[in-house]
Amino acid sequence: MRRTVAYIVVLLGALVMLVPFLAATGNSLKSFAQYIQIPPVWVPSPARWDNYAEVWRRTPFGRYLLNSLVIAVLAVAGNVLTSAMVGHALARMRLPGRQVLLTAALGTMMLPTVITIVPSFVLFRSFDWLDTMLPLIVPYWLATPFGIFLMRQTFLGIPKDFEEAASLDGANPWQVFWRVHLPLAKPALATLSVFTFMASWSAVLEPTIYLTSPENYTLPIGVMSLKGEFLGNDQLVTAAAMMSLLPMLIVFVLAQRYFVRGAMSAGIKG
Amino acid sequence: MTAVLTADKAPPRPTAWRGRADERVWALAFASPYLLHLVALTAWPVLASLYFSMTEYDLVTPPRFVGFDNFARLFTDRIFWQTLGNTTYFAVLFVPAQTILALLLAVALNQKLRAVALIRAAYFVPVVSSWVVIAYVADAVFNPQFGIANQIFPAQDWLQDSALVIPTLAAVGVWKGVGYMMVLFLAGLQNIPQERYEAARIDGASAWQSFRYVTMPGISGTTFLVLVLTSITTLQAFEQIFVMTNGGPNGASELTVLYLYRQGFQFFQMGYASAIAWVLFVLVLGLTLVQFRLQRRWVHYA
Repeated sequence: MRRTVAYIVVLLGALVMLVPFLAATGNSLKSFAQYIQIPPVWVPSPARWDNYAEVWRRTPFGRYLLNSLVIAVLAVAGNVLTSAMVGHALARMRLPGRQVLLTAALGTMMLPTVITIVPSFVLFRSFDWLDTMLPLIVPYWLATPFGIFLMRQTFLGIPKDFEEAASLDGANPWQVFWRVHLPLAKPALATLSVFTFMASWSAVLEPTIYLTSPENYTLPIGVMSLKGEFLGNDQLVTAAAMMSLLPMLIVFVLAQRYFVRGAMSAGIKG
Repeated sequence: MTAVLTADKAPPRPTAWRGRADERVWALAFASPYLLHLVALTAWPVLASLYFSMTEYDLVTPPRFVGFDNFARLFTDRIFWQTLGNTTYFAVLFVPAQTILALLLAVALNQKLRAVALIRAAYFVPVVSSWVVIAYVADAVFNPQFGIANQIFPAQDWLQDSALVIPTLAAVGVWKGVGYMMVLFLAGLQNIPQERYEAARIDGASAWQSFRYVTMPGISGTTFLVLVLTSITTLQAFEQIFVMTNGGPNGASELTVLYLYRQGFQFFQMGYASAIAWVLFVLVLGLTLVQFRLQRRWVHYA
């Protein structure tokens, strides 16, 4: 009885989660006339798959996709590597000021982005990095507090025997980290990868501020800019938006358990 | 002296680099990305932002020191106060709704249901979507003419009506974020020892009583975390508003961070924008401290 109620609650909720996506997908397959039809048609017939092709034909969608992919892949690679290095130092090495660094990492997770956005812009401008991918990638190469925290927790849980065996065999600290600890931390690395991918893929504020030329746009702001391009043809922008979701959805389906793990171990990034 | 003390604590191990200054050099090298991060992306920007907040700075001419003028101007800036009001209104609707719904769903999902992973995945689809995607998904629901919401409720101009825009945005925000918070609650629920429920059952507790006296205290830590997180992120809400309404209609959904963005990156008043950032920071910090202080009254750690 109690379980039946629970089923009804969660399935009803799941429906509320998914129905808008179905409706938007339907919208993306309509002609403009069908798009504005009242009451709305759920399944347009004929479905205009050509809307998707038209987005590719008429806009630099492929370019936006490529930009987003390059940025996300480099951000993930950098964040995973450097956060693991710092996490390793905090968990395992005799580092002067270790406690201070750890407290700083935890403390800055509370620091609102808006505090640093103006000076960061000024800084990157002085490097001549405006309208390049660098402001969207380089910060991830300097380890993120969430990544450090996650990796430190992981390394703390790895038994010391392995590293002692390795260092007795003459491995240097980098070899211990790279050959012994990193392979043991694969689940955490996967978790951090999917979280970083999501953050990079969906970012709106930073790309808006740093990118000015349309050929440098990432998918979210590229899609936003299509509103003007396709004035009054919202079904085409909807098609573009749904396409921009697809890579993220694929990552999510492949790495679902890491998403859940990340959400729980973090609780940090809203 | 120091060397002697460290040597006492951890005797050198039989490897080339252990227990020597060498190890510290390695450790510093490993930590260097974050040291650079702290200096370049945290400490400097925080100090610079504090300095900018006391200047007039348009990015073209060098910053000109004006003392507390920006803060004085903020104090009498009607629009700024209005954005603080809008932000508070948004938070007051969003935070409790998101927390209660996430808890309710987590309790239901915790009933050892089959296909939990599949159901959970449905709740995560909005979580992983960017706000730009959400904006078009929301359009399918809240379009004033042909959105599906109009088929259920009396027709409304959801996002173009100044009385409705904030509640509508809050509803969309809850819909997007509830799956994430649900997972946090689910983790909290699964940490409650089963014996407590059995003990409650033996004592003849009703379903409500066992929720009230076992579940709620058991997850008070998680609830606290969720409340702190959602209120911090809500006070900083930007992307949703920027993408969905851009502050409209007539500034009815202009939240403080959007106002900051406009001052800085549309009107190039970097000094004024920095002052807004600091006021916001102090508010976030104050709210967090109040929450931490209040937690002693209601959060129980097992």
